[in-house]
Amino acid sequence: MVFLFGYIKPEKPELRVREYEEYGGIYCTLCRRLGKDYGLAARLVLNYDCTFYAILAFAVSEGPSIKFHEGRCVANPLKKCIFCSDDSREFLLSSALTVILAYYKLRDDIADSGFLRKAACCLLYPPFYFRHRNAAKKYPELEKIVAESMEAQKTAEKDKSPKIDSCAEPTAKMLGKILEWTVCGELESGTPKARIANEFGYYLGRWVYLMDAADDIEKDIAQKSFNPFAEKFHLTAYSEQEAIGKAKNYANQVMNGTLSQLCAVADLMECSRFGPIVHNVVFMGLPLIQKEKLFTKENGNVRPI
Amino acid sequence: MSDPYRILGVSPNASDDEVKTAYHSLAKKYHPDKYAGSPLADLAGEKMKEINEAYDQIMKERKDHANSSGQVGYGGYGEYSGYGEYGRSEYQDVRSLIMSGRIADAEQILDGVPSERRDAEWFFLKGTALYRRGWLDEAYNDYVRACQMNPQNPEYQAALNQVAAQRNGMYGGYNSNVPQANSCSGCDICTSLCVADTCCSCFGPGLGGRGGCW
Repeated sequence: MVFLFGYIKPEKPELRVREYEEYGGIYCTLCRRLGKDYGLAARLVLNYDCTFYAILAFAVSEGPSIKFHEGRCVANPLKKCIFCSDDSREFLLSSALTVILAYYKLRDDIADSGFLRKAACCLLYPPFYFRHRNAAKKYPELEKIVAESMEAQKTAEKDKSPKIDSCAEPTAKMLGKILEWTVCGELESGTPKARIANEFGYYLGRWVYLMDAADDIEKDIAQKSFNPFAEKFHLTAYSEQEAIGKAKNYANQVMNGTLSQLCAVADLMECSRFGPIVHNVVFMGLPLIQKEKLFTKENGNVRPI
Repeated sequence: MSDPYRILGVSPNASDDEVKTAYHSLAKKYHPDKYAGSPLADLAGEKMKEINEAYDQIMKERKDHANSSGQVGYGGYGEYSGYGEYGRSEYQDVRSLIMSGRIADAEQILDGVPSERRDAEWFFLKGTALYRRGWLDEAYNDYVRACQMNPQNPEYQAALNQVAAQRNGMYGGYNSNVPQANSCSGCDICTSLCVADTCCSCFGPGLGGRGGCW
């Protein structure tokens, strides 16, 4: 499971102050929505990736411009936050998607992590089991897309000589289908808008998968977990730093190829709202994460936002 | 047709130069080269047509208005013409399947070719089909194979150059070898010229007669 890692975020210094506040507003409002729909624990899994999903959902749908107002942070009453009205479809979808993805990630973690982490995940499992069931009941389509992609991921990684592309495909297709469904439901697939949304999701999902895999190379070879780049370059726990660097360089190239497709699709996408934020993320935020995670890790990889 | 000024994103009071600049940046944004081999090429082509028409309309109106003669209308960019016809009968049907977007059918035929009979053309077409599906890494590997087997073919080389440029971060992403993202080093210029050159020789009418960007 590769979502929920917070790789998809804007490059803050390049946002206008207004855009930055809007971004924060969506983030805080999604947090509030998660609390309302799925309770306190669900707010813990709020992340940048799902925030960007909410932004995209707003960007591709028509509607009046969004009004923001000041309020108090739900978690920290001393902090002032910016909110908007949280009962639109976009927020309901985003909070459901957050919970569904968090549930599958948790299940995944229980299956293949060490003892301590496993214990922690097991504690969280029961509350999320019911929250997930709740979300899946509201949006069975989302649940179906995510569940299918999880199955496809397992099949792809079981292959004897898994290719990078075939490993990335389940996540790519998942996000493609989710975005297409978000834009037009099941009614009008095949319209230019639906096709663009699908392609956008495909390459964004592909990028996220590749980024996560490349970021985890060292961890995965230490734990002997599956990693498509380690597989391609036959890396083991005894591999030299140089060999790992080579694999990362290759990963960077594959991601650049993916981003060039994503940029081209983004240019075709018409955003009714938040266009500059979407543009910032695709053209600046994602390349920056590539640089930070692959080439400047030791200089601190935490970028506050 | 809707307001041409809105399409180009300029005010009706904009000067000719401003209109031209807006047109150029949009033409770059929707340039057929960027969408070569992409399943969205048709949508980009429509956009291109729209801005071409808007630009032509504005220029025509202004010319009529000023009633000045002797100014030649600006051509604008053409639509992407697809891959060149190289007339190899064996894979001709595969080519037309790929061009009409029937990727699965094309791949079925390709996969039916036994591995000892797979030549440079096969790897090129397989790469093109994979590229359309978003399997960019395998596509790159197949283009490399095609160029190794037949280094003389400009079409294979153009495809490889395009994918290689993408992987080096020319169209987005991060280039670890160039100190600043988006800066233009000598290497960048060389590769872009290479790409431009091969594109010109290969896609011919797509770029040749139309002015401006390159």
